Amino acid sequence: MEWSLSKVNTPPAEDERFSDAVRRNIVMAKLEDLVSWGRKNSLWPFNFGLSCCYVEMTTAFTSPYDIARFGAEVLRGSPRQADVIVISGTVFRKMAPVIRRLYDQMMEPRYVISMGSCANSGGMYDIYSVVQGVDTFMPVDVYVPGCPPRPDAFLEGLIMLQEAIGTERRPLSWTIGTGGVERPAAPSMRDRKRNDRMRTRELRDPNKLEGYLDHRLGKRG
Amino acid sequence: MLFEQFGEAAFVGQSTVDRIPTLWIGRGDTHRILRYLKYEITQPYKCLYDLTAIDERVRKHRRGQPDSDFTVVYHLLSYERNADIRLKVALNRNDLKLSSITDIWPAANWYECEVWDMFGVVFDGHPALRRILLPPTWEGHPLRKDHPARATEMGIFKLPDKQQEIEQDALEFDPSWWGMHPGDEDTDFMFLNLGPNHPSVHGVFRIVLQLDGEEVVDCVPDIGYHHRGAEKMGERQSWHTFIPYTDRIDYLGGVMNNLPYVLAVEKLAGIEVSERVETIRIMLVECFRIMSHLLFLGTMAQDLGQMSPVFYMFADRERVYDVTAGIMGERMHPNWFRIGGLVDDLPEGWEALVREMVDYFPARLAKYEKIMLNNGLIRERTVGIARYTLDEAIDWGVTGPGLRACGLHWDFRKDRPYSGYERFDFDIPTGTNGDCYDRIIVRFEEMRQSLRIIEQCLNHMPEGPIKAHHPLTTPPPKERTLHDIETLITHFLNVSWGPVIPAGECSVGIEATKGNNSYYLISDGSTMPYRVRIRTPSFPHLQMIPLIARGLMVQDLIALLGSIDFVMADVDR
Amino acid sequence: MNGASPSTNVFWPLAVLFGAAVLLVALVVLLSWLIGPHHNDQATQTPFESGVKSYGDARYRFPVKFYMIAMFFVIFDLESVFLYAGAIALRRVGWSSYYEMVVFVGILAAALAYLWKSGALEFATYRWRQPFGQRGIWDERRGFHHHAHHNEHNSEQPG
Repeated sequence: MEWSLSKVNTPPAEDERFSDAVRRNIVMAKLEDLVSWGRKNSLWPFNFGLSCCYVEMTTAFTSPYDIARFGAEVLRGSPRQADVIVISGTVFRKMAPVIRRLYDQMMEPRYVISMGSCANSGGMYDIYSVVQGVDTFMPVDVYVPGCPPRPDAFLEGLIMLQEAIGTERRPLSWTIGTGGVERPAAPSMRDRKRNDRMRTRELRDPNKLEGYLDHRLGKRG
Repeated sequence: MLFEQFGEAAFVGQSTVDRIPTLWIGRGDTHRILRYLKYEITQPYKCLYDLTAIDERVRKHRRGQPDSDFTVVYHLLSYERNADIRLKVALNRNDLKLSSITDIWPAANWYECEVWDMFGVVFDGHPALRRILLPPTWEGHPLRKDHPARATEMGIFKLPDKQQEIEQDALEFDPSWWGMHPGDEDTDFMFLNLGPNHPSVHGVFRIVLQLDGEEVVDCVPDIGYHHRGAEKMGERQSWHTFIPYTDRIDYLGGVMNNLPYVLAVEKLAGIEVSERVETIRIMLVECFRIMSHLLFLGTMAQDLGQMSPVFYMFADRERVYDVTAGIMGERMHPNWFRIGGLVDDLPEGWEALVREMVDYFPARLAKYEKIMLNNGLIRERTVGIARYTLDEAIDWGVTGPGLRACGLHWDFRKDRPYSGYERFDFDIPTGTNGDCYDRIIVRFEEMRQSLRIIEQCLNHMPEGPIKAHHPLTTPPPKERTLHDIETLITHFLNVSWGPVIPAGECSVGIEATKGNNSYYLISDGSTMPYRVRIRTPSFPHLQMIPLIARGLMVQDLIALLGSIDFVMADVDR
Repeated sequence: MNGASPSTNVFWPLAVLFGAAVLLVALVVLLSWLIGPHHNDQATQTPFESGVKSYGDARYRFPVKFYMIAMFFVIFDLESVFLYAGAIALRRVGWSSYYEMVVFVGILAAALAYLWKSGALEFATYRWRQPFGQRGIWDERRGFHHHAHHNEHNSEQPG
């Protein structure tokens, strides 16, 4: 869906064409794009967290990482009102039925972000009381690696989920459509980030804080 | 004095590396001796610090100790003497029964449940022996040496609908099991799950409330939803590779969790670290103390309804993360302490970073004081709420700010200095009433004292090596390995296999952010620990909730839960 | 011939409005049934209680103080309704209506004073007024003798 923003009181340019004026004032979209756009930009997360990743998740929810920029600051206490559940933290065996129950009680469309190594695969806890990955009993949409992932990484996972939601095709009704959600193949993040990563030539010496200090001070200054 | 009372034959002494008097006693004597130690002896051992067990069946280095398949260990602490005593009881594998000491110490309740859960020792006379750390449907006792450790050894986990039904039924609350009445003659009581998923219980903690309208008649805390088997993991990891697991015991504590473990291993190995290492350790530990208390403040205010401090608090935590991440490289779980030292030296320019933080915080704390501590509504909701007396606190094993808020001036940093704390000048804030407000104040003032300590670290950082000059330092300094073959071989073995720590037992406790955190390590002379016992502060704190919560309204219970400042990983490990 | 009486004449638009409202609601419900997703997992139809099964019924004998608060609300709310009615008529009737209202409010104020004095407005019950340090011992007035025994058994080992 194509949309743009312009300030309210800007007078139109002298030589503005009719099509530009239309584009400034009217948005046209397919219904499914409009619905996807609305869905992805107002994902309401469920107030759910398990472990250390939950602390980083709440850091992402609050300033300075601010999930409100993505339209997702409306934390819901009840799964019925939530759109996305973030499995942030280790999935314990005693907790697995609880998570499953909460997921059952979520209303569709519902999405799952698996945050952190423990939720992705059990992480470093290959131990009797930990389920090796939440995808053993729940479908997962996005995996965010890290132990714990930085809040930025979690927000990147959220953006990826938004992208996936923006391009998915859901049947409008159970009476129409073939049934099931269609999504394009998930992009390979490795391929996407390859160019940026290859461009990195200088790594900061961890024993010198010069560049680190300026960046932080400058950010706050 | 014990020998006078009971005769020398009742005891067998054992010497341990940490020089805590360790005595073996007979099964039938536990009650008498413990009662004597708690009530009758001068300067009694009023605190049950820890109650745990050891599976000794495959232990090799046990010379001088009585035969035992399973040993139950009682660790008592006397505040007046500033001394510990450890009592051990030997049990045979075919007769794992011991009488419960819940009539002497109410705090023993959950500890004994944990020993039953993990080892299978039955405690006679225990009012409610049940599994607390594992699901009720679990079979087996994990900390036994014949129980598989890894999930990959136990078959793929599946949760089909039928299994889900069974598990949920097992988790369902049954008031009659607890002797709870469903109502009195006028009203029925409501049994509400303030369940594993609730924003106010700070993690995966479940507390079942018996409510009369809005007042709590009784409650039952249910833990185990965060059990990660850290103690069993210790038996599968080398001494060095276990350090990251310690970070995650109290996930707000970061390197503060590495400290007791590393100190205990160093004691076992006989390693002395330089003053620089000690000072750096203290500086980083105090940074994490500030971060943990900041989170406590913010979430406490949020529980009481004041939404702004949470946002300020997270921004302030980022400031401290800048310092710790700049020095250590990772935000939340740096695992930066090593056996015999640290990972690396402080980077160039660290003084400016720390100085900036130290300059920034006092004004910020003053702001928190103004908006939170002097706020009339916050005071109304916390002053006089959820009080407990000092005797109750000691009886239930409360340590840390919860104990200091009752008036006892006890802090391991002052009373049992470790890692160089004796060189620093700081105060220990104590409260008077033992209510929620005092607990908040104590933690708030502790932040100020932590800043003082950090400033002293900054001003007087001694020079010195980062790793101790000892063969068991892991990983050994790399520069030396390229010089001679012995260092190379030691380095290779240390890094690949792990250091071989000499056999012995050692328990080291520190003043962690939430209370007293202790690691009781047993080495059998191999590259992996034989037993890692982690005594965490939040475990006894949660046990105490029903005692305080009876008669509180629900909103006061929420204030109580916030003021205890627990972290579920600290409770369940 | 006055076929339809005046009353029927006036009220037929209301009937149309009512019918339209019902139709609109039915349309919305039908559309959401048609368009919305249907899913019914194992726990979907069960109430949410922090992820575990709840105990007991939602219909139970809750404490009478909630009912009393509702009664007080009704009484004092209707008082204000009458005051509104009195205020509308004030101009026309004059001072006598004012004195009536004063008497009316006075009677209700006396009722309020009685309620206040007799403790009916106390929302927290006796437990809140328990002296500090006497935990687990219930007030005799509520007849918790059996409960006191239970707590004796349980007072050292709760949880």
